Amino acid sequence: METTFDLPDSTDWIATALPAFEPLEAALRCEMCKEFYMNPVITSCSHTFCSLCIRRSIAADGKCPSCRTTLSSDKLAPNIAVREVVMRFQEARPKALELARADKEQETGIEAGNNKKRKLEDTDLEDGEDVRQTRSRQTRRTRRNAGSSDAPVEIADSGDDGDGDFLPEGIAKCPICNEAMKQELVFNHLDVCTGQSASQGRSTRSKTKNPFPGALQRRQKEPSPPPARQSQLNYAMMKEGALRKKLQEIGIPSWGSKDLMKRRHIEWLNIHNSNCDADESVRKRKKQLVKELEEWENTQGGRADTKESKVMRKDFDGSGYAKSHKSDFDDLIAQARKQRAAPKSEDDKETNGNADGVAQKDPHPHPESLLSMPDTPISTEQKPQSIRQNGVEPQGLYNHGSELGTRQDGAEFANHAEANSTSEPVESTTASQEPPIGLQNPLGSPSRKLPMFSMPEEPVKELDMFAT
Amino acid sequence: MSNPAAKRLFKEYKSLSSDPPEGITAGPVTEDDMFLWEALIQGPEGTPFEGGVFPAELKFPKDYPLAPPKMKFLTDMWHPNVYNNGEVCISILHPPGDDPHQYEQASERWSPIQSVEKILISVMSMLAEPNDESPANIDAAKMWRNKREEYEKVVRQNVRKSLGL
Repeated sequence: METTFDLPDSTDWIATALPAFEPLEAALRCEMCKEFYMNPVITSCSHTFCSLCIRRSIAADGKCPSCRTTLSSDKLAPNIAVREVVMRFQEARPKALELARADKEQETGIEAGNNKKRKLEDTDLEDGEDVRQTRSRQTRRTRRNAGSSDAPVEIADSGDDGDGDFLPEGIAKCPICNEAMKQELVFNHLDVCTGQSASQGRSTRSKTKNPFPGALQRRQKEPSPPPARQSQLNYAMMKEGALRKKLQEIGIPSWGSKDLMKRRHIEWLNIHNSNCDADESVRKRKKQLVKELEEWENTQGGRADTKESKVMRKDFDGSGYAKSHKSDFDDLIAQARKQRAAPKSEDDKETNGNADGVAQKDPHPHPESLLSMPDTPISTEQKPQSIRQNGVEPQGLYNHGSELGTRQDGAEFANHAEANSTSEPVESTTASQEPPIGLQNPLGSPSRKLPMFSMPEEPVKELDMFAT
Repeated sequence: MSNPAAKRLFKEYKSLSSDPPEGITAGPVTEDDMFLWEALIQGPEGTPFEGGVFPAELKFPKDYPLAPPKMKFLTDMWHPNVYNNGEVCISILHPPGDDPHQYEQASERWSPIQSVEKILISVMSMLAEPNDESPANIDAAKMWRNKREEYEKVVRQNVRKSLGL
């Protein structure tokens, strides 16, 4: 998490000598994700967003987030000027920020006459070389400051390391070959210009233009035709199988329900089509896009829920949960105990008055699945005795009916086990653990699924840990 | 952190802490979970809420900022636009699609370009100027309309209670 503290942000400028850059940078950031525009596109209502952001938003409600005009994602057009500006600004930012910070430090340093502090903070800047450079600049500026109190002279400097576009008066460049000449001569020259050095001019430009190192440049060498945007499907008309097939064709996961596949396909379109809006130098490969889709799958798609429960478990307040649900646990324990004590004899008594209970519970799930979670009640049973003693009534008031039903069930299962003549003791314990399952109904809300019910096992254990 | 929602929330957190609006503090309860925030809102001056500091909880959906967060005060609030359980009911917290109360303009409602900061500022001005057209707490709204003095008295009592006095 710590690394994320470095997330650059427009507020970085506030405390520097250039607070006016704060709104400037804010204007170069997408209003939805607050990042620098990534593959910016302009909407038909003239608002600009990251391609992916606006596509997601349109997929969600079909409106412009700024002005609520109805939009369609196929009317989005790349905003190349903004893309360029953002790219340039990002290149210039680190240095500019460094200077602006150093400048501020210097100001405060001079004001307080506190040189020591300034030096100390200077050394905080990591790269030795950079620091030296800023210092030399600083001293240069100090000298200048001594003469004229104007700091912003520095701006002139920035032109030095630019592309040498500065021309003396009366001199102009040929727009084709970039050669400098007297203004009058340009038109004549244009007629004969072979554009010979045009490629050279362009190449120098692209050299400065491409801020992306190694890997991306290499990719550029093998130019691929710009990928075509994919269009939405008519999900309502499509059968589940056809949609599944379509997803397979595209090469993205095709598991899950129809609704999930639909959502996945929409997200895929967002990712894929926004990549089509990207500049060639930063366009991603399909593999990467599929990876991004996987991230979506984990946070918002089909695997989101399991992930969420993991997050919940990480900072799960075991003892708190145990306290607040103590009476429930006590009930469960009491029932389990009772049942284990006399599974058969009680069974006989209750069969009479409990016909509907049986009917309700009869379509019993496969006993094997119960065997797979063995002796939880037993391990919990011995430990929380102390809890139980000062605890609530052993029998819950509300779940009497279902309790009977499950007991019935348990007994039935025990019989069944006996009939199978696998008379190991394990079988009878599985019978005794049915109550927790029967209790699902009184306790559970339909939205809660398994994880909640495997909980009781955990908090009790944890409580034990806390006790020791 | 690849999750765009968490990333954006972190950005908002950062800008809120480096440039906080007056009378408002907000941030995630723990930095492990960006989707649950706590906010402290000062009672606006010149209102019966003056002097109070009101803690509230913000819960963000996984698809934030496409959908708005939910906001809930953690102290007793006697206000026409706050439910008895503390949940805040103002237009900026309602997605534009559904309009349960049929009185809000689309432009006032949630959109992905809104932010936590704007929500909290709206809530602050809501404290100063309740909207009694479609109240969440009808009793409070009635009292606010007809017996303003009594309303202010209850509010002041709550302020004192929230400060532990």
